[in-house]
Amino acid sequence: MSKPHAVLSPEPVEDELWELPIGTVAGMRVPARVFADAELLAAIEQDRSLEQLANVATLPGIVDAALAMPDIHQGYGFPVGGVAATDAVVGVVSPGGVGYDINCGVRLLALPLSYDELGKRRERLVHELSRRVPVGTGGRGAREGLRGANLGRVLSRGPQALLEDLGIGSEGELAFTESGGCLGGADPDAVSARARERGAGQIGTLGSGNHFMELQRVSEIYEAAAAGAFGLRPGQITVLIHSGSRGLGHQVCTDFVKRMDARLGHHGIELPDRQLSCAPIGSPDGQAYLGAMASAANFAWANRAALAHRVREAVRSVLGGGAAEGTRQVYDVAHNVAKLEEHGGRMVCVHRKGATRAFPPGHPEIPVEYAEVGQPVFIPGSMGTASYVLAGRARSLDRSFGTTCHGAGRRMSRTAVRKTVDGSELRRQLEAQGIVVRALSARGLAEEAPAAYKDVDRVVGIVERAGLAARVVRLRPIGVVKG
Amino acid sequence: MTYRWIDHTAEVELEIEAASERAVLEEALRALAELLGVECDEALGPASTVPHEVSAEATDRPTLLAAWIEELAFLAESEGFVATRLVDLDLHGGDLRAIVGGVLAEPPPLVKAVTYHRLTFEPSGDGYVARVVLDV
Repeated sequence: MSKPHAVLSPEPVEDELWELPIGTVAGMRVPARVFADAELLAAIEQDRSLEQLANVATLPGIVDAALAMPDIHQGYGFPVGGVAATDAVVGVVSPGGVGYDINCGVRLLALPLSYDELGKRRERLVHELSRRVPVGTGGRGAREGLRGANLGRVLSRGPQALLEDLGIGSEGELAFTESGGCLGGADPDAVSARARERGAGQIGTLGSGNHFMELQRVSEIYEAAAAGAFGLRPGQITVLIHSGSRGLGHQVCTDFVKRMDARLGHHGIELPDRQLSCAPIGSPDGQAYLGAMASAANFAWANRAALAHRVREAVRSVLGGGAAEGTRQVYDVAHNVAKLEEHGGRMVCVHRKGATRAFPPGHPEIPVEYAEVGQPVFIPGSMGTASYVLAGRARSLDRSFGTTCHGAGRRMSRTAVRKTVDGSELRRQLEAQGIVVRALSARGLAEEAPAAYKDVDRVVGIVERAGLAARVVRLRPIGVVKG
Repeated sequence: MTYRWIDHTAEVELEIEAASERAVLEEALRALAELLGVECDEALGPASTVPHEVSAEATDRPTLLAAWIEELAFLAESEGFVATRLVDLDLHGGDLRAIVGGVLAEPPPLVKAVTYHRLTFEPSGDGYVARVVLDV
């Protein structure tokens, strides 16, 4: 029944950049371009991601090109690792271009101690993190969220609401969060009752799938000045939090894909894939989505702020009050979001789905403390390899609407990896490498095995050579908490 | 079984072949139960709970299939109720009303969303074929 996908072969157009020209797929308005090297491109061609990228190029009002980062892989509608900018006046906004986990993203915390100073307390700290942070999507993981949070205010104001109402977080943390942790134009009234129901009780919960919390140590520094500005030094302990808007965001996307799909004819839009459903940005449908999406994004930032609060409590319990007070937020970045930004002298709606904003030094949206080194970007690898801290570079504005990659990118399906990796054996292997593992299930652990992902070193090398972002620090995992 | 899981890099893709529209919907229910870790045959015993009513509506069959799975997934997420059998189905035009039996469980991993990507539910030969990609 299911037809094999057509193999599309992009041509090289510049260093690290490959292109599918207009006409590759009927209805393309712009080319589709991929940042990759020959080896990664061969892996990318193994699934439907290039076909999906070419489909994105058919969106009304799309500007310049449909872009993909080197961690691109097959998704639904948009590929994961996709970037599309649409003209703010004549273009569309597509909920599928953001995805179901609105503002899935990463927050990095730096602890005021080194690996050697942590010493034998490492296992206890990972255990305490797993005890305090609810994981999974159902049961405890769904309903042990932060108590006392006012959902309406969180949707409007994000983590600022937690700070004002519950004393969680700080003004400093807000300043070190993309967009200050609050997207303008949030419209909580556009968030459905079911979305609210799914999100209720989930602030401060990690979720499942590829969401995780990782204890790490700084293993290598590439740019001393940037590392210094980010407050990172050799051997330092960090905690990386990867989570998003949970059930609330999933439902917002579901609601608007359905709504826009039903009204494509009304707007005179034809698409090659229903999951690309969209509406003109200025239309009531487009504006309602942007308001609901901003609310879900604010919810996600509040979720990661609450998770960071729980990390601090774990640090306080194991390492003492001084370590908790000295734990500093390096930055927090979104991976799945649509934002109105000015590029090339015009306003565009930049859809980043599995892609990270990477503004260069001097950009006005970067915290003043980082103005000379560029915006921090966090690239989780896999639990057995490494993660990176990058800094945005100027060519990202010319080549990718100020965007870089978001991770290593999957290369194997969950089914395929389960056939080759045993979760219990993987746990033993990771622990033999000095990585403490706390996972909800052996199956979930196996599905996120390092073998399921591309080589993060290669992915990061490409974005660096392409001038989108530069390596600052390499982080080695020493503990993992998985949903 | 007349459903199967198709390899997908990041999500799960379900394909169904069945003799009737009802059978397609029933197979989708069974597939979801399997995904949520509940064997349908084991669920007929004393652990079964009171039946639940499920309704969905759509302007076309593919959208109705997506709405049906969405409702079943929501029941699992919100109440921990995993539907394992279709007790009764009333299918009129774009309206679906069903009674489903099942079990209470703690079902990981739950489905985040039912996508419209490659969504199909159409006649084929003597029966029907359907396909849906789930975000997990």
